[in-house]
Amino acid sequence: MLSIADNYFSQFELPVGYDIDLDRLNGQFRELQTIVHPDRYAAAGDEQRLRAIKLSSYLNEAYETLKSPLRRAGYLLKLQGVDVEQVDQSDLDPELLFEQIALRESLAELPKDESALDRLDELSRTTGDRLARRQLEFAACLVGRSAAGSPEGGDLAQAKKLFHELQFLTKLQAEIEKAEDAIV
Amino acid sequence: MSLLQISEPGGRPVRRAARKRAAGIDLGTTNSLIATDVDGEVLTLADAEGAHLLPSAVHYQVDGATVVGAAAKAQAVADPANVIVSVKRALGKSLDELTDSGDYRQYRFDSECDPASPAFVTSMGVRNPVEVSADILKTLVLRAEARTGEAVEGAVITVPAYFNDAQRQQTRLAASLAGINVLRLLNEPTAAAVAYGLDTREQGNIIVFDLGGGTFDVSLLSLQKGVFEVLATGGDTALGGDDFDRAVAAWLADQCGLGGMESIAARDYPAMLQAANRAREALSEAEQAELSWNGASFTLTAGEFAELAAPLVRRTMLACRRVLRDARMETEAIDNVLLVGGATRMPLIRRAVADYFGREPLQDIDPDRVVAIGAGIQAEVLAGNKPAGDFLLLDVNPLSLGIETMGELVEKIIHRNTSIPVSKSQEFTTFKDGQTAMALHVVQGERELSSECRSLARFSLGGIPPMVAGAAKVKVTFQVDADGLLSVSAEEASTGCKAEVQVKPSYGLDLDQVEQMLKESHEHARADMAARALREARLEATRLTDAIVAALDVDGELLEAAERAAIDRALHALRQAMAGENAALIEERTEQLNHASESFAERRMNMTVGAALRGESIDAIDERTE
Repeated sequence: MLSIADNYFSQFELPVGYDIDLDRLNGQFRELQTIVHPDRYAAAGDEQRLRAIKLSSYLNEAYETLKSPLRRAGYLLKLQGVDVEQVDQSDLDPELLFEQIALRESLAELPKDESALDRLDELSRTTGDRLARRQLEFAACLVGRSAAGSPEGGDLAQAKKLFHELQFLTKLQAEIEKAEDAIV
Repeated sequence: MSLLQISEPGGRPVRRAARKRAAGIDLGTTNSLIATDVDGEVLTLADAEGAHLLPSAVHYQVDGATVVGAAAKAQAVADPANVIVSVKRALGKSLDELTDSGDYRQYRFDSECDPASPAFVTSMGVRNPVEVSADILKTLVLRAEARTGEAVEGAVITVPAYFNDAQRQQTRLAASLAGINVLRLLNEPTAAAVAYGLDTREQGNIIVFDLGGGTFDVSLLSLQKGVFEVLATGGDTALGGDDFDRAVAAWLADQCGLGGMESIAARDYPAMLQAANRAREALSEAEQAELSWNGASFTLTAGEFAELAAPLVRRTMLACRRVLRDARMETEAIDNVLLVGGATRMPLIRRAVADYFGREPLQDIDPDRVVAIGAGIQAEVLAGNKPAGDFLLLDVNPLSLGIETMGELVEKIIHRNTSIPVSKSQEFTTFKDGQTAMALHVVQGERELSSECRSLARFSLGGIPPMVAGAAKVKVTFQVDADGLLSVSAEEASTGCKAEVQVKPSYGLDLDQVEQMLKESHEHARADMAARALREARLEATRLTDAIVAALDVDGELLEAAERAAIDRALHALRQAMAGENAALIEERTEQLNHASESFAERRMNMTVGAALRGESIDAIDERTE
């Protein structure tokens, strides 16, 4: 039997929050998968197998959401009733936008050979550092808020802004890796 | 999300009292093996002569006999056209791919057959790669049945983790042709880890470096308390020990003054490869090897061989790097490295792996047998002979799955290395006003254009009520089960009209598609980006011109003659640019048209007439979360 909890965090018996005990997440995930995974029902009927697939998929989705720093941030905001798909003008600082455009352009203008690798490494490092800083700030914005979305504590508007910045930075990081792949 | 209690009636499957004979099969490029339970331990089985490895060679003889294994391999030089070797590499490939690779130069291909599903012409008639593979599988099953005196009721067959859908399907098809009940297709590295995990109870992060005859896989697994989780997988479906032989053969041809492989006669090719293979294997034990060709002798030193092999070794290391990066892990986090596949016996491979990961790789279990043994163990579990509580395999989807959107762009729905089973949805919208149907094209691969990915299925969703472009919400759901079978469904939210398609290995599925391999996506990444920019520019331009033409039809009278002329000029200029290949020019002229029509748009807005003119629509949001 598996009880579907009211959010992914409590599914894995973790406190709701951005800082997460990844070892505990892994351990809980594996324990639950050993109960519901379809391979456990290789000899069972279709209906049970189907249910096993559904529950196992649900666990995978929950696990991957919490495991990814970006998806975890989006999920936390969703729990607070913030629609992260809806991007308002006020969520994006023009400065941030211009900066991201400039970074992307400089990425596109890099030579497509090994001479660009040092610059790519540097870009990757600065992007990674900044991601880490923004993640800390994001976590701080949510401190004091319960899962149910209590009205006091934290700064949701700022958290949403930071989330969109995290999106940009994560995407930029992926573009940098892609550019590296194209070279090596 | 509301609190929902789901209970599992019965909990655990009922275990059958009677044991079922189950087997694990490693269907390899050069050699194949079968493993089954022998007195409580899963072991590979030998033939009557004591050989465990069955060479993956099939001889279709003039007298109508099909010979599989060592006897067939022995005839490869005498009767090259009728001895099919390395057939695994031909699975799921088109005629062009086979002839371009040069690996199958000794064979004649049937000119009648569909070039998308090539077949060999042999003295026993036409045989396609699926049939040849089935002959190998049959031989293995007969061996197991002779040895155990029981019919094999189910088998787990291993495939490279990197095998795409077509290759997996053809493997399954071959098993069906051989009369085998397939319990599961299992990724080879996972099978290897199972074999090791149960022997040594290793904990931690494991790299499985599997260099077989024709394929290369590298996977990162985590093992804890009997649960194997594949964290990332990668590799190269066209890289293996054979390539090292080819490199040596090319060297030999060069030494003989034959000036490269192209000038070697098709008949001589197998003999030259065999000479190269003997030399390469000798170099695993010695510092130099002797080769002779047409009476002349040559010496290949380990150092020279290392030079010939360097580009191939480099490719394996790049794949390792990518897998670590996909899992966001450093080499220091790796606790164990397992070597799988006969080609890992090469000292230079062991050295490269040890250097890269900073630790000596494990090879306690025979690298040739470890995969079959792991598959045999998993077969025991799935057949219900072994308690399931012992271990569990959590696998990932090796190649991204997606949907073709406007302009042939691929929107990935399930990314590679996502844990399976998995179910994911994404919303799409209509592109034109009044659009009542949507064609959905399901593709697999990493490339950005659908024409360069493998096409899996096409289906359409009709009955969408006519709405303005972008208003309909079509939810497309992809589900992949633990066997890696994909099913896709689509639903329009406001009306609930539905369409569904199952994409799974079956006879009904179209096996004849040509595919571009994932490994090429690196080489093409840049071309993709340029092509994508052009398509996006054209798409945006089409949206704007369509909208303006429609607006002019309705509200053209709002404009002064001069204004109208300016818009027409901009429209004409943009259309000319759209006919060309210059993305920047299209963007520039789109911007000019936007500018020319700005005040027109404003007036229409002010009149609150209908649709907005700005060329934006909801699916044009560039910055996606993932």
